[in-house]
Amino acid sequence: MKRWTLTIWVLALIASLTVGLIGCSSQTATPSPTAASTKKESAPTEKPASPATPKAGEPKTSDTASKPSGQPIVLGVPTALGTIEGADSLRAVQLAVEEINAKGGVSVGGVKRPFEVVSIDTREAEAGTPTNDALAATEKLITEKKPNAIVVGAFRSEVFLASMDLIAKYKLPYITSIAMTPEFEKKMQAEPEKYKYFFRTGLNAPYLVGNLIKVMEFTGKKFSFKKVYFINQDVAWAKGTSDALEKWAKANGWEVVGHDAYPTGSSDFSSSLNKAKSGGAQLVVPIFDMPQSGVLVKQAKSVKLQALIAGFISPAAPGTAWKAFDGEVAGLVNFLFENGSMPVKAVPKSVAFVENYGKKYGEEQKQKLSGHGPGPAYDSVYVLAAAIEKAGSVDADAVVSALEKTDTDGVIGKIKFNKDHQVIYGTNPKETAISTAFQWKAPGVRVPVFPEAAAEAEIELTK
Amino acid sequence: MEASVLLYGLVNSAVLMLTALGFSLTFGLSGVANFAHGSLYLAAGFIAWMILHYLGLPFMLSVVLTIIIVGILGAAMYRYILMPVRGIALSEVIATFAVGVAILEFFRWAGFVTYDFNLPSFVKGGVEIAGVDVDYQRVIIIGIGAGLAALLWYFSHKTKIGLALRGMAQDEYTALSLGIDSDWAAAISVGLGAALAAVAGLAILPLGLISINIGYDVLLIALAVTVLGGLESTTGLMVGSLILGFASVITANYLGPQWSEVVYLVAIVVVLAIKPSGLFGKFKELEERV
Repeated sequence: MKRWTLTIWVLALIASLTVGLIGCSSQTATPSPTAASTKKESAPTEKPASPATPKAGEPKTSDTASKPSGQPIVLGVPTALGTIEGADSLRAVQLAVEEINAKGGVSVGGVKRPFEVVSIDTREAEAGTPTNDALAATEKLITEKKPNAIVVGAFRSEVFLASMDLIAKYKLPYITSIAMTPEFEKKMQAEPEKYKYFFRTGLNAPYLVGNLIKVMEFTGKKFSFKKVYFINQDVAWAKGTSDALEKWAKANGWEVVGHDAYPTGSSDFSSSLNKAKSGGAQLVVPIFDMPQSGVLVKQAKSVKLQALIAGFISPAAPGTAWKAFDGEVAGLVNFLFENGSMPVKAVPKSVAFVENYGKKYGEEQKQKLSGHGPGPAYDSVYVLAAAIEKAGSVDADAVVSALEKTDTDGVIGKIKFNKDHQVIYGTNPKETAISTAFQWKAPGVRVPVFPEAAAEAEIELTK
Repeated sequence: MEASVLLYGLVNSAVLMLTALGFSLTFGLSGVANFAHGSLYLAAGFIAWMILHYLGLPFMLSVVLTIIIVGILGAAMYRYILMPVRGIALSEVIATFAVGVAILEFFRWAGFVTYDFNLPSFVKGGVEIAGVDVDYQRVIIIGIGAGLAALLWYFSHKTKIGLALRGMAQDEYTALSLGIDSDWAAAISVGLGAALAAVAGLAILPLGLISINIGYDVLLIALAVTVLGGLESTTGLMVGSLILGFASVITANYLGPQWSEVVYLVAIVVVLAIKPSGLFGKFKELEERV
């Protein structure tokens, strides 16, 4: 008894020392999104004075600026901060706030007021978190921190839709950038006066389908592709997207070799990839936002699938994916839902955003920027600042009226809201916001290939 | 297509067997249903990743160190958490499940939620078997699974320590009267099960990314395989893995991958309803144990 107890103690000590050693040497460890979420931005200490919206590439600070002196304008960020999209979006908001405050803050009726960010982790992306809990967290933030507006907002569509009634009660401008459901527009159309406080800068599902169709059309013409295989995560948004694509493909002369859905958490896609191979699929369209989906391309290489893979695989979107997957993502065409998480020359503000993000959070975080959320979250703050300045107050109704008239350039392209308060997405960043598709090419670079107006190279087939 | 189903069915069976081996062994040798099994599997992946990336040690050395560390963690979990509730089956289940959730949530809290956590394959590349391409890692998994099952059968049936552990599992008081320390035996078996969870994780995780939710999935798989085969039976483990492995691949190929996980849940429900001790369960009915 004593002998083995002593042995356990000694071994546990060795284990502790090993773990400690690992911890001490982990200078490049992944920062905790939770830690990021609880950090409050400190008051600006520099002295800028230019308008809230900076020009692309403009330095963050100016010696001639004045320090904001008024009461802070509080921005609430209730979202799933444990997710990459949520954590990156909060960082993007904090960056925008820091830039605006450094330039003197927001001019409200002649008074310069700084932005202040308050956030709460709704944990809504975690399995088993009921919608009610996420709503309770949002309401807690509203009642305790009394934000003047909300940005980023709900992560899951069902939470977002449920939030609409809650927010309507508090009458707060709410600019969402992650939830993609088209039901938002339907609710807006049904009761525009009740829900007028809601705006969406992020991509919605119909726009995503439209973009993927354009890529299919392009590859169909360029490479004479006619056989496609769809693989999607078995969740509402991915299933809806894939089903709509399949419907379009069948109506436009494509042969659909197969269409499979995988439960969240699946990590073996070999059955679909083998079927795609034996069926002679030329194009494989994956739609996934779960971590395990990153290995789909790796497994496609293992089974020697020759088809072009073009779609959305969230783990293959960050700049770190090449290293994470040992270069086996080569040739993959992947969408960034909204422009902004990698520099695109056709959208100068995206170049400045990514550069400034890297300066504030480090090169590693810059490389890891999520393809969904950060760009529109960053733009949301600037759009809101401009609307408050235009309204001359933080009164919700006045700010909403000003937001409706937004017409500005952002990191996602041109920002204009349609009548349902959804930012208009298209293919020309001078006229609309854009999604960007890139292709992974050796030696580990992401090259924009879609839309044509932002492309820096053409899609290539790799062996 | 049939060759593909056969080959990948076999691979999947090996993956399931390897995944469940530690859980089954611990229960078979000590009667402890270690519900932290999935978390230890996941922890092995993250520990190996940290050793590789932060200490820069060679991969195979990282593998060995990880197996040792996770084995020690398992034994320590028995000594400090399970020993006070030893013999109260429900408390053991609750305690191990709580430890498992704590481990998973610790990694979530520590920020292990990005897409960077990926272990390298033992050998890169693949081979064509009967016209079907399969990567070497999957072939290696079949080898590791078969080798470990044989080794553990030999250990538990032919070695003195193995027999002592089995004796303890069969009748604790008789074993005590013969001088076998029950706590020592249980700590060894929980530690060995944890080390096997690490072996499984290190062999299987290179096929995918390491993400928190895998911990829950692994526990479900381990439960399904061992409940189907019989909680304390090595033969049952192998047969259960083969049945579920092929059923899952056939379901994925002919009904759709979204139905393949249902196979595990259906197996648990059906076996519990018809033969609670599992196909090859020998000692006691499941309902008496858990």
